[in-house]
Amino acid sequence: MTTTAGDPSAQLADGLARQNSTGLGRLLGTGKVGHAVEGPDGRMTATVRIPEDELSWEPETIIMPHGGDLELTLINDDRNTHCAVLPNNGDPKIIWLVNHSKGTASLNLDGPGTYYYGSTTGNDEGRGLIGAIVIGGEVPDHAKLDRPAQPRP
Amino acid sequence: MTDYVDAGAAIPLTQLSAVKGSAPATTNVDFERIKNAGTEPENWLTYYGTYDGQRYSELDQITKDNVRRLSPAWVFQAGATGMQSGASTYSFEAAPIVVDGVMYVSGPDGKAWALDAKTGEELWRYKHASPYDVSLCCGNVNRGLAVGHGKVYMATLNAHVVALDATTGEKVWDITAGDVRAGESRTAAPLLVKDMVVVGSSGGEFGTRGCLDAFDAETGERRWRRYMIPKPGEPGAETWPSDGDAWQRGGANCWITPTYDPELELLYQGTGNPAPDFDGGVRPGDNLYTDSIVAVDVNTGEIRWHYQCTPHDLWDYDSTMENLLFDAPDGRKLLAHADKNGYFFVLDRTNGELVRVFPFCDRITWGEISPEGKVTPKVYPDEEGVPVHFWPGPAGAKEWTHMSYSKQTGLIYIPVQEVGATATRRRREFKESIPYWGAGVAVDLDDFYGFVSAVDPLTGEEKWRWRNEYPMCASNVTTAGGLVFQGTPTGEFVALDAETGEKLWSFQCGSGHHSSPSVYSVDGRQYLAVPTGWGGWIEGFLPGLLGAAAGDALFVFALPED
Repeated sequence: MTTTAGDPSAQLADGLARQNSTGLGRLLGTGKVGHAVEGPDGRMTATVRIPEDELSWEPETIIMPHGGDLELTLINDDRNTHCAVLPNNGDPKIIWLVNHSKGTASLNLDGPGTYYYGSTTGNDEGRGLIGAIVIGGEVPDHAKLDRPAQPRP
Repeated sequence: MTDYVDAGAAIPLTQLSAVKGSAPATTNVDFERIKNAGTEPENWLTYYGTYDGQRYSELDQITKDNVRRLSPAWVFQAGATGMQSGASTYSFEAAPIVVDGVMYVSGPDGKAWALDAKTGEELWRYKHASPYDVSLCCGNVNRGLAVGHGKVYMATLNAHVVALDATTGEKVWDITAGDVRAGESRTAAPLLVKDMVVVGSSGGEFGTRGCLDAFDAETGERRWRRYMIPKPGEPGAETWPSDGDAWQRGGANCWITPTYDPELELLYQGTGNPAPDFDGGVRPGDNLYTDSIVAVDVNTGEIRWHYQCTPHDLWDYDSTMENLLFDAPDGRKLLAHADKNGYFFVLDRTNGELVRVFPFCDRITWGEISPEGKVTPKVYPDEEGVPVHFWPGPAGAKEWTHMSYSKQTGLIYIPVQEVGATATRRRREFKESIPYWGAGVAVDLDDFYGFVSAVDPLTGEEKWRWRNEYPMCASNVTTAGGLVFQGTPTGEFVALDAETGEKLWSFQCGSGHHSSPSVYSVDGRQYLAVPTGWGGWIEGFLPGLLGAAAGDALFVFALPED
């Protein structure tokens, strides 16, 4: 269905990505995509921010080219306190992020697959403060089934 | 430029808890000790308690006379944080292991714990980060751990196998065992045999090529892999189409822990359904080694013999369920298997010869198996778009949860499900990571019941049954106190008289049972450890309770200390 700027349904749809517009918070999965950068030692780095009054991670999705170690920098540009509980092999990691703070998290994740993280204080996650780390690539050859390549969706 | 407050570095979540971070070093568990696990009933050293899968405890402090006084000694609440992969089918299917007063137990979503088996205090925890988007047909579940050589072994949803330090929970090694992009996962409890960790594949609904792996217990290096679908030219390949790709996606996963005979050095592995589950038109033939009991040489991974319970399966009748080992009075070494297809098989475990086969449920319409083992299919989805109803449904007359054997009575206690289903064939093309069923399936929402059936495996006679309004969807366990313990889908944990089936006691745990309880003692006090938490593939085995209370608590019962 085609919509125009003056179309009420388009305005409602536009409000899905913002705080207290169509819904109370922000619809999950409407953010931008960033990429982790791989260093010469194979470790990867990325940065995410929490913009003011948006209750979102920017970028919301970080793509890692393969599983391994990620050094994540987290910056809270908001005027409220949040935190992050992050996936990590062994134990999830937590960091408190008071107003205008900056911290780091060293994470180890297998690939491929999607891992979610969020601020577990208040109802930050419900308001949209959920991020994803998506790992691409393939499993090692030794872990693959002994069969010819198969069709994929 | 903003002058940021330094938030420091993220710390492990456990650091903000009362978890001690270490467990006392227990005496070493090795192959010799596990072989003789029945001689130390204070411990529950391996998945089934003993290699033979009998799920029998020699502990007799809790008796028919005093069981009415049984009450919770402590409760462990597993809990969850954040978005979970397969949240709709989250289930606590654990089988607690106990060594010298320390309990090692796994949960959904890659979690494992060491607990004080006397108090429930959390000693350490480990969480393998589980991708949210893994292909899971049948739940965000893990059925248990293996313990030995100072380590704890666990399989993960993204098809890794990890070894943890038993005293700290720190990872020692981590091997990628399967391909998550191909729909593979790992949910079975590993089995420690000799110096190897044996664990099979999961992913039966995604057209994988099922396999059983053995890894070096010290290093994680793979010693052997046994595919359960032969390649062209290998023994059994003649039961698959000679042309085409059917064997490459044939299924036969090994998603339940095998039993083991140390004298014969054979693993008894049940294998899963062929893929696609309900559309046999794309895979003519018997489709070995799907739906089979397979005897695997533990040293080489070679198949010594096999027995197929449902040739050319069209009903999703996995035979992954346990193969319980017992000896006849004349010394014959036997194997008992209650299959999804509703028939109970007794085999000679030295060579796979059929000794006896008989039905153990009330309603079987899919086909018939003669006393000689001849299989005659009767009702199956054959025509495109035509619904066909059959009993038992695809979860089977008995699901993956386990029966038990009492050395006192000589009876086997089977948790039975009486649930039918309707399948309508809908052919589809295979694609990796997409469910490959070949049908639409609706399991009956009403007209179901269940019971515990006490069967003499030497005659096939049912000695008694304890009937319940709802099917039995949990493993049971039997003790030298003359009792059978069984959890129900509606939350009751029940004690039955092993000789008569009389209900002697029950406790409402608040959420249904779909796990494998274990029995142990500490300082002379007998305990029963019972993970509860309704979930898993409920739509497949009891959709009539899809709306029931869920949870994930571990109840531990004991008699009062006074």
